[in-house]
Amino acid sequence: MKVLLPLHLNKVGAGFPSPATDYVEDDLDLNNHLIKNIPSTFLIRVQGKSMNKVGIHDGDLLIVDKSLNPKNFSTVIVNINEELVVKTFVRENNKSFLTSGSKKIEDKINLIENPEILIWGVVTYVIHAL
Amino acid sequence: MHYNKNKIALVDCNSFYVSCERLFNPSIAKKPVIVLSSNDGCVISRSTEAKNLGIKMGEPYFKVKKIVKENNVKTFSTNFALYGDISRRVMKTLKLFSPQMEIYSIDEAFLNLSSIKDEDLLEHGYKIRKTILKWTGIPTSIGIAKTKTLSKAANYIAKKEKSGVIDLINSKQIDEILSKIKINDVWGVGRQLTKLYVKNGINTAYDLKNINNGWIKKNTNVFGSRTAMELRGVPCVSLEPYEEKRKSCCVSRSFGKKVTKLEDLSEALTTHCLNAAEKIRQDKQTVKKITVFIRTSPFQKNKNYYANSKSVELPISTNDSILLVKKTLDVLESIYKKDYHYQKTGIVFSNLKDVDIYNKNLFSAINNEEKRTKLMKAIDYTNTKYGRHALSIAQAGVKKIWNTKKQHSSKIDTTSFQLLPTVRTT
Repeated sequence: MKVLLPLHLNKVGAGFPSPATDYVEDDLDLNNHLIKNIPSTFLIRVQGKSMNKVGIHDGDLLIVDKSLNPKNFSTVIVNINEELVVKTFVRENNKSFLTSGSKKIEDKINLIENPEILIWGVVTYVIHAL
Repeated sequence: MHYNKNKIALVDCNSFYVSCERLFNPSIAKKPVIVLSSNDGCVISRSTEAKNLGIKMGEPYFKVKKIVKENNVKTFSTNFALYGDISRRVMKTLKLFSPQMEIYSIDEAFLNLSSIKDEDLLEHGYKIRKTILKWTGIPTSIGIAKTKTLSKAANYIAKKEKSGVIDLINSKQIDEILSKIKINDVWGVGRQLTKLYVKNGINTAYDLKNINNGWIKKNTNVFGSRTAMELRGVPCVSLEPYEEKRKSCCVSRSFGKKVTKLEDLSEALTTHCLNAAEKIRQDKQTVKKITVFIRTSPFQKNKNYYANSKSVELPISTNDSILLVKKTLDVLESIYKKDYHYQKTGIVFSNLKDVDIYNKNLFSAINNEEKRTKLMKAIDYTNTKYGRHALSIAQAGVKKIWNTKKQHSSKIDTTSFQLLPTVRTT
């Protein structure tokens, strides 16, 4: 991932310095905004439509931070049946579940009953083309 | 330096290439997996399960094909774009634990942990291990000791015993551990030294530690003495946090299929030469000596084995691709023999020097040096912008029939928008 160096607006010159110097120092950098932890953050592409309701669509880019632990309603990448999939992480009465966009009860996976399921990372942003 | 306070950790990624392949592919998590060198030649990384099947490091693929088939061993070609990115992530994470760090290879680094209290070292090691695993998905083994050589030894045991972290600083069993390490597995002991040591009854790291100083000075070079001292806990090899500029640069590949024609060899070697030239330009270096080598397969059963190499000194150090390719092809022609099935060719640039911008020589004007420098800059810029080999010289060929066969590549690249890993929604 690229890290940009700050660009200082005003050259040191003889004339009166630009009054805006103190306010504008850099172009907006989306990397800075979207990525908090560079070594643990991965870009992953989505395949499938079953998370549409959560705002995740086929072909979207997910920004995934592996260093984070999921909170209630976090969108997570999990390893189920030897595959990486997107799910929603839910806590109810001290129990942890995974749900998908469908919200159907039978789709709910109890994490305590399925200890082989591992949380791979937490999705922090979705990049979706309109 | 108060060397009794010296604390070094060697962090080494477990089966690194295999671990990278597993990162986005949980279906191979607990299965035997191997990664093959370029052109699917030799085994260069094995999962524990593959090791347990008896697949040896460096073994040619055809020799293990039977085991692979019978046990459904998952096989991958190298994917260095992925491995490189994961390696950078591991190193960046490690750097947070100690600013004084030496990246030793793509998958190992020495850390200076002198600021950590003795009693906290083991726990600190586990914390490093846990963080690397969580952040990057890569399992590691860590050896902590007073010297680099001992930290390597500790790491070796940590890997062998799958304990994750071994701390020799607080250990009273150093000698017991060192006596478990065969002399050829000691860091810095090569094949020649091993022969000498074994002949003289030095079979383990423990034996070397207790060898008489006079004997070692008389019979080995300075490196032999250093290793013995380091095994005793006296640091002789310091941490090198700054990357040293390379002293030589080698690019070589095995062919995707056997090559006989000079034309094809020339194409391959031109490509290698261009890659090497680009590397040294990146490091602002020039080359004085070129070595070219070619060989047929050493595993070939019939007697048609041929291998040769030749070096030339250039009149003036340069990093001009066009000049270098010309010289390289001249050398190739002088060692090429007809009717052999070549398996590998490569080039070594040695006597590398920093570019000296003030050093104009007598021939600068005649060789159009300034123009050439600009041309090389333009080529490098184009190639970083539009991908490698976007701009090349015709000699490198377009078809590249000799090129690497990557039959089993995972084709995932965490640094390319076109090849990102994918997840399914269910």
